[in-house]
Amino acid sequence: MGAASSRLEKALGEQFPEGERYFGLENFGNTCYCNSVLQALYFCVPFRDQLLEYYASNKSTGDVEENMLTCLADLFSQISNQKKKTGVIAPKRFIQRLKKQNEIFRSYMHQDAHEFLNFLLNELVDILEKEHNAARESLQNLSLQKNSNGPINGLPNGCHKESAATWVHKCFQGILTNETRCLRCETVTDRDETFFDLSLDIEQNSSITSCLKNFSSTETLNAEDKFFCDKCCSLQEAQKRMKIKKPPNILVIHLKRFKYIEQLQRYKKLSYRVVFPLELKLLNTVDNSDLEYSLFAVVVHVGSGPNHGHYISLVKSHNHWLFFDDENVEMTDESMVQAFFGSPQEFSGNTDNGYILFYESLAEKS
Amino acid sequence: MHRVGSAGNTAGSTRPRKEKRFTYVLNDADAKKHCAGINCLAYLNGSANSTSDYLFSGSRDGTLKRWELNNGDASFSATFESHVDWVNDAIIVGEKLVSCSSDTTLKVWNCFSDGACTRTLRQHSDYVICLAAAEKNSNIVASGGLGGEVFIWDLDAALAPVAKSADAKEDEVPNGNSGPALTTLCNVNSSSNIASSNGQSHGYSPIAAKGHKDSVYALAMNDTGTLLVSGGTEKVVRVWDPRTGSKKMKLRGHTDNIRTLLLDSTGRYCLSGSSDSMIRLWDLGQQRCVHSYAVHTDSVWALASTPSFGHVYSGGRDQSVYLTDLSTRESVLLCTNEYPILQLSLQDDTIWVATTDSSVYGWPAEGHTPQKVFEKGGSFLAGNLSFSRARASLEGSAPVPVYKEPSLVIPGVPAIIQHEIMNNRRHVLTKDTAGSVKLWEITRGAVIEDFGKVSFEDKKKELFEMVSIPAWFTMDARLGCLSVHLDTPQCFSAEIYAVDLNVSGAQEDLKINLAQETLRGLLVHWSKRKQKSGSHSLSNGDSSSGKDLPSKDSPRSRSEVDDGTENHATHVLPSFEFSTVSPPSIITEGSSGGPWRKRITDLDGTEGDLPWWCVDCVTHNRYPKENTKCGFYLHPAEGSPAPNITQGKLSAPRILRIHKVANYVVEKLVLEKPLDGGSDSTFAMGLSSGQSQLSALDSSSRIGLKAWQKLKPCVEILCNNQVLSPEMSLATVRTYIWKKPEDLILHYRVVQSR
Repeated sequence: MGAASSRLEKALGEQFPEGERYFGLENFGNTCYCNSVLQALYFCVPFRDQLLEYYASNKSTGDVEENMLTCLADLFSQISNQKKKTGVIAPKRFIQRLKKQNEIFRSYMHQDAHEFLNFLLNELVDILEKEHNAARESLQNLSLQKNSNGPINGLPNGCHKESAATWVHKCFQGILTNETRCLRCETVTDRDETFFDLSLDIEQNSSITSCLKNFSSTETLNAEDKFFCDKCCSLQEAQKRMKIKKPPNILVIHLKRFKYIEQLQRYKKLSYRVVFPLELKLLNTVDNSDLEYSLFAVVVHVGSGPNHGHYISLVKSHNHWLFFDDENVEMTDESMVQAFFGSPQEFSGNTDNGYILFYESLAEKS
Repeated sequence: MHRVGSAGNTAGSTRPRKEKRFTYVLNDADAKKHCAGINCLAYLNGSANSTSDYLFSGSRDGTLKRWELNNGDASFSATFESHVDWVNDAIIVGEKLVSCSSDTTLKVWNCFSDGACTRTLRQHSDYVICLAAAEKNSNIVASGGLGGEVFIWDLDAALAPVAKSADAKEDEVPNGNSGPALTTLCNVNSSSNIASSNGQSHGYSPIAAKGHKDSVYALAMNDTGTLLVSGGTEKVVRVWDPRTGSKKMKLRGHTDNIRTLLLDSTGRYCLSGSSDSMIRLWDLGQQRCVHSYAVHTDSVWALASTPSFGHVYSGGRDQSVYLTDLSTRESVLLCTNEYPILQLSLQDDTIWVATTDSSVYGWPAEGHTPQKVFEKGGSFLAGNLSFSRARASLEGSAPVPVYKEPSLVIPGVPAIIQHEIMNNRRHVLTKDTAGSVKLWEITRGAVIEDFGKVSFEDKKKELFEMVSIPAWFTMDARLGCLSVHLDTPQCFSAEIYAVDLNVSGAQEDLKINLAQETLRGLLVHWSKRKQKSGSHSLSNGDSSSGKDLPSKDSPRSRSEVDDGTENHATHVLPSFEFSTVSPPSIITEGSSGGPWRKRITDLDGTEGDLPWWCVDCVTHNRYPKENTKCGFYLHPAEGSPAPNITQGKLSAPRILRIHKVANYVVEKLVLEKPLDGGSDSTFAMGLSSGQSQLSALDSSSRIGLKAWQKLKPCVEILCNNQVLSPEMSLATVRTYIWKKPEDLILHYRVVQSR
């Protein structure tokens, strides 16, 4: 391991980015789903910066109860404060906390990396919102005490509901809008929903762009599945489509490679070849503006089935591509990304497929 | 807006229900007016028959109406009522009027009749949206609809008398003996090859134009019936030979749904109007688009051309009618309406405009000399690209309409667009397109209060009553008026005390079943006539009337005379008396041949097609006894010295009032005092766990004045530590105070009299 680390250092030589740390993460028995996602998140710079900032500001306020957020902040700060530039760290506390928090992850079974990412982000948001509300409440209590004697019952309840967007939201949250157009009166109704990642259905020999296109393609509600139009007061044909109303700063795309096959009564892994570009243009937005994104991390699933296999990640840091496989960290080449598109034939040996893609908005950078 | 299944939509419903549904439609007080948007217009020039001119209008209210035009005035002349859903299109073929509807049928009527339907044509499996006819061949009609179904009908063949049932009336209300069971409403098939699966009772099948991938929203045919064009969500204009149903060509250009089509008399040119806001002129000979006109700022839904095909009038979602010279591309805004325009009909110097409003508007049009309109100024050149006009209007250069006021308005009644069932399940609050908020009593189909233009939501809150009655009906407002749906057995779940309806001479505990009384009110004319015809037929041995009812039914109803059933069917309580001036219509599914619709006053007693459960309820007083009981426990309140008087569960009608419960408690307390120790008492009330004497509870008033009444202990009933109002019913307490799925627990305590 030591040799590997130094090899990385040697490979980068003088190009080793200032202040950057490349550390492998120890595997505690099938925790690669966790390690691969953590590496991708660590090299999601806006997220890491915010988390370290949170860590710094929270450390001063004294001992807070341990939770997923503090554990993650601890881990990130531990990595970034390493004296050595490379090495291996054991994310022991974080894994313990995770297992305590959610029984799904408690076993030593192979877990789904996307499920973990989803759980983690939602957990972080919950904690941040709770802290935010608690802070506001104590502030209100303070001001109430000052004003004293005021009727406490008169507190507007609504102020708790509109929880301000946390920095996790600011990084990952986008808004989708579900547009339905009645084909009779042609009134368009939309309903917004937020997302942290887009889960895309995939096809053989396709690309992210075409999967995104399918995602926003028009679906007709007809025959026995007509739409009740409030304007027509009756069931009518309608066209429905999903569009991205607010694109996120960090676009996380999850490829639905695990599909339930009715006949087999179990999930099957789809190793389809789905090309994901280094630079992605997002076309299906409401205002039709095309947004450009750049790929910075890929979580790769290795193996032929959903219940076993391995997760690794490819990460771009300071214009170098790195390969993280639990404890191992290696330099790699941009062209390596292509190796994880999938296989154009169903029964080929290539089972190392890109599973979760992390893109950052280029608009945000400039 | 939200997606729903087919709940609440009788005609559009595709899932077979267990029992046939019975629906009644509360027509507006003015039967001479439409009460929903006008989907179509058809003009009959009377000069050929030396009669007046007639305008026919087909509405979302499910009816067509005939208007006699005289010296610039339109007067109501007939209603054509038989469709059970929106009338989507209508055309005149010779002296026949053909209409199509979302109820999946076409109907043929005699233009000059009093409104009786001559024939129902069933072939479509989804909404029929549009019709086309050949001007010079009064035999050919094409119908197009959802699911890509297009059929070409030979009317002579389709209307040919059928060996078995030649009588038009029998076809109108099919009576079960006409051929194989029709499956019209069973499954909506998106493919168009259902021609054979949907058997016609008389063996005629139309030609199917197969090959549409998507729904058809527009059709047009040339004069001689040799060319048919179709358009729809496929965004292409398809050209067919209607004589064979074979494809001729496909024209691409529009980028959205094609909503309206016109063919010139020769069949060389075709005009199309689309949701992409464009009008396109196609040369079918050259198979290409020769002109595109951007005049509208939104979807184009209606086109009408001058006889020479030199000019076109167009209307659409932007509520405007434009007149465009097809060759010079000069265009002018003729008029603006207050509602989106659904269809246009040009007759001489008037253009008739159908909109989503219930009224029909006639505007001056100069149909013979359209260039006169241009002379009034304000014209502009139509652009080539869509949105060029939209941009122009944004920049404030919107054209000024040539005409400000319509020359003629055939007024309609505002359509109901919002409705809310009140908690008492007898009253319904509605709001119409004019903004008026009204309260209806649906058990007699009348408006009981008109609040005028007030906030619907505020009124709803204001009228809130803490009352819980089971949902015994469902309803919708798709016809612009209220349609109330009754399904057995759930419709028989609601009861009410007769005294609450001010029924004179009713016993205090007499309960009325809301659905039964409503059905009685609706079918009173039917019952009366049936009784008459029944006795008549019995006397001279003619079994033809009422033939679809099992023959044993008639004698049975007579044998029950001693039960007082005879008067029962025809005796209607005032709260369930429906208007005979503007009677409601009933819609129900026939034993074969799909749903039918009739005014209740037009029911002549021979309708063997009424659902059996309605007949059973009205004539035999038989209906499923839904569980109208409510189980509850009655315990002394905490800390109350009152003894325990019951053990186990009690059961009583859901509508039982709390003061009755209090009375019961008082009764028990007083009666059992001397016996000492209620639980051991031999007085059985309430002790038979679960099965209690509800009758005793219900009619405690029958127990006369007892000694305890002089003592007058006052008892309060509580639930969840809340003292209950004596007027509340058990069901209300359960819904609003108890709020739990478990059995209701009530407490009582004696209050010291002051």
